[in-house]
Amino acid sequence: MIEIKNLDIDLGEFRLRDINLSIEEGEIFVILGPSGAGKTVLLETVAGFYPPKAGSIILNRNFANDLPPEKRNIGFIFQDYALFPHLNVKENIFFGTRYRRIDGIEEKFGKIVSILGIENILHRYPKTLSGGEQQRVSLARALIMEPNLLLFDEPLSSLDERIREELREELRIILKKMNQTSLFVTHDQTEALVVADKIGVMHDGRIAQVGKPDEIFNTPINEQVASFVGVETVLEGKVASNIDGLAVIDVNGIEIETVADVPVGEKVLLGIRPENVTLSFAKDESSARNNFEAKVTRLTPLGAVVKVSLKCGFPLVALITKLSAEKLELEKDKEILASFKATAVHVIKHGS
Amino acid sequence: MRFKRLNVMYFIFSLMGGLLVLFTLLPILRSFLAQTPSILIEEVTDKGVQEAIFNSVFLSAISATVAAIFGIPLAYILARKNFFGKSLVESIIDLPLAIPHTVAGILLLFIFGRYGMVGALFERFFSLRFVGTKLGIIVAMLFVSLPFMVNSAREGFESVDVRLEQVASTLGAAPFEVFKRVSFPLAIRGLLTGWILTWARAISEFGAVIILAYHPMTAPIKVYDVFTQFDLKHSSAVAVLFLAICLVGFVIFRFLAYGGMGKRRQ
Repeated sequence: MIEIKNLDIDLGEFRLRDINLSIEEGEIFVILGPSGAGKTVLLETVAGFYPPKAGSIILNRNFANDLPPEKRNIGFIFQDYALFPHLNVKENIFFGTRYRRIDGIEEKFGKIVSILGIENILHRYPKTLSGGEQQRVSLARALIMEPNLLLFDEPLSSLDERIREELREELRIILKKMNQTSLFVTHDQTEALVVADKIGVMHDGRIAQVGKPDEIFNTPINEQVASFVGVETVLEGKVASNIDGLAVIDVNGIEIETVADVPVGEKVLLGIRPENVTLSFAKDESSARNNFEAKVTRLTPLGAVVKVSLKCGFPLVALITKLSAEKLELEKDKEILASFKATAVHVIKHGS
Repeated sequence: MRFKRLNVMYFIFSLMGGLLVLFTLLPILRSFLAQTPSILIEEVTDKGVQEAIFNSVFLSAISATVAAIFGIPLAYILARKNFFGKSLVESIIDLPLAIPHTVAGILLLFIFGRYGMVGALFERFFSLRFVGTKLGIIVAMLFVSLPFMVNSAREGFESVDVRLEQVASTLGAAPFEVFKRVSFPLAIRGLLTGWILTWARAISEFGAVIILAYHPMTAPIKVYDVFTQFDLKHSSAVAVLFLAICLVGFVIFRFLAYGGMGKRRQ
């Protein structure tokens, strides 16, 4: 278990204040924040590259502030992978193993290499590998050390869109399989949703809010968090049925229809963008598969559009034009019908 | 398809560059062609000439190696750390580049002469002298060539991504392990370049060496010696022999360092 208490970091251009977070064994903690928020500096301090100005870093109940990086056993996955160019893949993976006793090293190596699917590139050199392959190798190199904590600095941001989407789901599965305690920083909301057990939103050198993904996205604590995470509705649910790719997700007893290839019983996160939610008086014969009786809890005018916060057994946000809002005579506590298409629901696999 | 367009600027630049290349190459070629075979043979078989050339090659190699042993750690510190007085240290390291070589020889005499600080110490405890000995030649060579070693090595270390060193430390490698397994092998080209430049600078040194040690003779001094005592023909024969050996050495080391000519940076 990792605890960071009242940590202050001052590097001139970057200043982090009063950072508090604790990461349970096997948990994936994601720090979400805009670029330049000082997320990388936090990781580098936890790794031991810089001393903090104040506060403490506690690794498995041991005070770690004064330990040099090589004694912390904290892995670091860099954005650009940082593979040793003069060593081949296998030599890269084994780089640190001479410094730490690891039981059943050969067995562990075989297991990691096969989980990551890099058996066939062991004798190649980093410059001949694709970005995705390099990322897998850097992950293998860190995982084989059985680190107390694995740090990820925007590890997917230099990959192509397609590979990034593939790898982020896989990354969570791998980390969960290895029960690897991780601290992950990103500026990408979707990435945070896919990877995180817990999210901390960083703003202006502080952690503004810590919570489970759905808490952060649905009940942002202040305007800064809200404006950064956007107003997407995020729901936690379980796949109730799946017939030919039309999956019904059970969210606290409410059924939401989606189009997704997910097995029955799996835990998932649902994302619904507010511009995809339509409001009307009565159930019309539209193609929208999801229709819920809702109550308006709040109206927020945003120029030409109005953000409508609703409650329909779960929190839901709709974004409609001012004209529509006037036509529907929307006001607080008004009852209305909220609809969205099954194809408008973004399903994120989040099983453990 | 490449455009075949003659740009006036490139034409003029090439012309000027070509003149520069000729300026370097012409005297070398001319000196080879000017030789009389009989004099050349006379000098090749001369014991003194052989010894002088051997001294030059051998002592400059030792000097470059000493420069590497002490210069590489300094270069690493300069490449990686910031400290108070760093720019002062950098200036001091570069200083020999700005000191005329005969002046350097005089300065060294103050320290390494029989009554100099270091000279007296070595005489007393090791019965070693610098003036008029091979040791003195090495010292003179070292003084004028050290900046090349430190600067090249430093460039070599600066080209190594700090993050590779950081990642090595997160994998459990202590600082010296990081240096040995990451920084050193990745900076090897810069280090070899430094060694070659240092060696080349050392082997060509005349001014500082002649003041510390006229004897035992190195090749540049032998060329001067023959010139003053015989004539241009004889001294140019010695010069050409020495030149040939320098060129061969230079080509071999460049090849080792870059894996072929013309591939200066990867």
